[in-house]
Amino acid sequence: MPLYKVENLTYYYPEAEKAALKDITLIIEEGEFILVAGGSGSGKSSLARALAGLIPDFYGGRVGGKVYFQGQDIRTMDRGKLAREVGMVFQDPEKQIVQTHVEAEIAFGLENLGLDNEEMQRRVAEVVCFMDLKQIRGAFTANLSGGQKQKLALASVLAMQPRVLVLDEPTSQLDPVSAEDILNLVKRLNEEMGFTVIMIEQRLDRCYHLADRVLLMEKGRIACDGSAREVARKTSRDGAPFLPPVARFFAGIEAPSLPLTVKEGRKLLRSCIIIERDMVLRPAAGKVGDSPADLAARGSAVCLKNLWFTYTGGQEVLKDVSLDVGEGEFVAVLGENGAGKSTMLRHLTGLLRPDRGTVQVLGKDVGRNGFKEIRRHTAYLSQNPNDYLFQDTVEDELLFTLKNFGLKDTSVVDEMLDRFRLVQYRRTNPRDLSSGERQRVALASVLVTSPGLIILDEPTRGVDFRLKAELGRFLRHETVKGRTVIVVTHDVEFAAEYAARIVMMSSGRVVSDGEKHEVLGKSVFYSPQLGKMCRGICDGVLTFSEARERIYPLLGNGAAADEGQGVMM
Amino acid sequence: MFDKLYYQDKGLFLQSFHPAAVLAYLFVLLLLSLLYDNPLYLLSLLLLLALLIRGVDGFEAWEGFLKAGVFLMLVVMAVNPLVIRAGATIIWHGPDVPFLGRLDISMEAMYFGAVSGLRLLVIMSVFCLYNLMVNPDNVLNLFSRAAGKSVLMVALATRMFPTMVRDLKRIKEVMQFRGVDFEEGSMWERVKKYSCLYNVMLLSSLEDSMEIAESMQARAYGSGRRSVYSRNQPRPRDYLSMGASLLALFAAAWGLHNGCGRYAFYPVADALVSDIPTLAALFVVLFYLFVPLILSEGCKYCRFIKSKI
Repeated sequence: MPLYKVENLTYYYPEAEKAALKDITLIIEEGEFILVAGGSGSGKSSLARALAGLIPDFYGGRVGGKVYFQGQDIRTMDRGKLAREVGMVFQDPEKQIVQTHVEAEIAFGLENLGLDNEEMQRRVAEVVCFMDLKQIRGAFTANLSGGQKQKLALASVLAMQPRVLVLDEPTSQLDPVSAEDILNLVKRLNEEMGFTVIMIEQRLDRCYHLADRVLLMEKGRIACDGSAREVARKTSRDGAPFLPPVARFFAGIEAPSLPLTVKEGRKLLRSCIIIERDMVLRPAAGKVGDSPADLAARGSAVCLKNLWFTYTGGQEVLKDVSLDVGEGEFVAVLGENGAGKSTMLRHLTGLLRPDRGTVQVLGKDVGRNGFKEIRRHTAYLSQNPNDYLFQDTVEDELLFTLKNFGLKDTSVVDEMLDRFRLVQYRRTNPRDLSSGERQRVALASVLVTSPGLIILDEPTRGVDFRLKAELGRFLRHETVKGRTVIVVTHDVEFAAEYAARIVMMSSGRVVSDGEKHEVLGKSVFYSPQLGKMCRGICDGVLTFSEARERIYPLLGNGAAADEGQGVMM
Repeated sequence: MFDKLYYQDKGLFLQSFHPAAVLAYLFVLLLLSLLYDNPLYLLSLLLLLALLIRGVDGFEAWEGFLKAGVFLMLVVMAVNPLVIRAGATIIWHGPDVPFLGRLDISMEAMYFGAVSGLRLLVIMSVFCLYNLMVNPDNVLNLFSRAAGKSVLMVALATRMFPTMVRDLKRIKEVMQFRGVDFEEGSMWERVKKYSCLYNVMLLSSLEDSMEIAESMQARAYGSGRRSVYSRNQPRPRDYLSMGASLLALFAAAWGLHNGCGRYAFYPVADALVSDIPTLAALFVVLFYLFVPLILSEGCKYCRFIKSKI
């Protein structure tokens, strides 16, 4: 008997006219690791919630078809019994922790199941040990880092000892190190403990290779279902947006197989091309950005000089940070959590004053006069677009900013709505929009003042590939118009694709600063997947266009079939 | 900045008591501070509290309570003589004031003000000690069986508070960057600006609450009768402390019944120690109240005591 049997499942959220799930038929066997991929609004999360029994129980709405768990209709199952069998971890760790202390949080689900104290003590102890939570066992949950919170959310579900783990983008809010930590744990749970894992993810480079089976969703339907390699092969012909970068690169050529990991990609690349000695060292041909002479000719948009800053608690966060960003530059700031990126951002927006050093933005001394001097000419987009949305309509949201700055010309509102494809939502409440649309409204609401400097804090968190590409292209277009863009991000792929310059921070210092090929090309860990694949074979390749330009001409004659590694095309 | 005022697990002996034992002990201290009038008794309680606060490494937090307490003490000392006319020892003859009459300042009235301030200081110190000695989560856990839903609501609010403070700060910055000046304009304009801020908070909180509820349902909340995860196992130290608290309470009740701990300020203040039983009763009560400290010191220096409690 299969673990799950889904028959013709169709689901409409309350008051929705469009079905979130359309005629889904699916069988899931015990012990599988299933990756559910697809764009925003494709129905991934709805499917996960249906499998966890939350749809329609929690959401309401109209439902057709059946979901059977071990032969029993999931809707007729006792909720406690279902929770013992299926555990679900959500996207945002902040919004799934209930208790004040770690141990109490792990026990929360066990209390709901009505287990006796002895059993709860045993399970809590086991999970604390397995998840290595000993250090934070007595900690206040609000003080945990994002990674620790997500680990705790996973621990509290695992304590209930479910057979199925449903994970809805569990790493989307985390930095790369914490994300890796969670994914490794999930892999172990599947391989060593036999858990059935159903995981939704946007960042496929992290987890595509971990899955036994991939479900690709599109407009509420399952567009493709099969093993990771089968799905990779099937989808590689359609532009391949739902493939890891390495596979996407090889999907564009007549390669004998389709690699899913950097290791497989390197092996295939070495077998396919003849490496010329000088090619390894040759810089990339298609560099984005300007020469040092061009940069010198530009005016300075942001100038930080010998910045030092210590928080009142005594923690020294910035240590002698100097940075000069020219007008029209696109800079991405990378670094681990606690590296000082956000603190630096708060300095250059004038929200913090340095202990020592100077901050000049658009020719004004921000350190002395604060943000009021520059805000009229600076757009700042925080991590959460919801921070911007409170007016009744999208149009009012844009007018609010204009009114505050005393700007009378409201024609810019139409221009912005048009540019961000929001015209049809002009009279819609922004809170009724999807996450991608909300981000566009937030961005439009800060760009109505035609700022010279655009600052974005983690704009690609939880955003699908299409929106990410759209945002990247938009920002690049703004730099062409002479606007300066500074993005703080953990998303190396995004930075490599769209930024021209990379600033890498660590422990409060700028440890690397330069043209993206110089910085990312030298880094092993902060490098996009294509960069890792081409390292030592064809140095200087970071983006698809560069890879196509430099590697495609070398392929074709020497392509040797390698049966052992990828998918045969 | 306010971290020091809240409970921090420092692994200290005095923080290792069962919350029920701590609550019983602090309740007795609070009750005695309200029942006793004798300044010597109140001073003794303050001294005991100072030692306990030192035992939980909380002098820094107590400093804030002390400053506020001493300020209030001075206020009571200044106000009390102006409204109380019962004292016999007049130290200053003041003028006639409408409604209040002649402003004669008596030493007894000032003395009473000072002792009232001292009582206030003792009460504040009890609350300071509570903050430092007992994990609020453990206290909540204690009441889980009786009022599970209320306890969960309090835990949720406590957990969300720092997040909301952080969100509020971030949203305010976002608003400032959109041209909102919270410090400028008339009172009405400022209220309007802040209402925008709270509007965003409210809308986001409502959306977030749905996600939290979903996560709770996914973990079987509301699916049946809940049990309570109890992390606090009572140990001999807890029984000893609770027993000592009860004995201190009985001793204090017996003493008060026999006039020990009572004190008359007017018209002339009593002597601090009028007879031997007054000192004896104080000694007995203090001995019982010192039990947690004795155990703490015993644990530090005696392996036998440590192994037994």
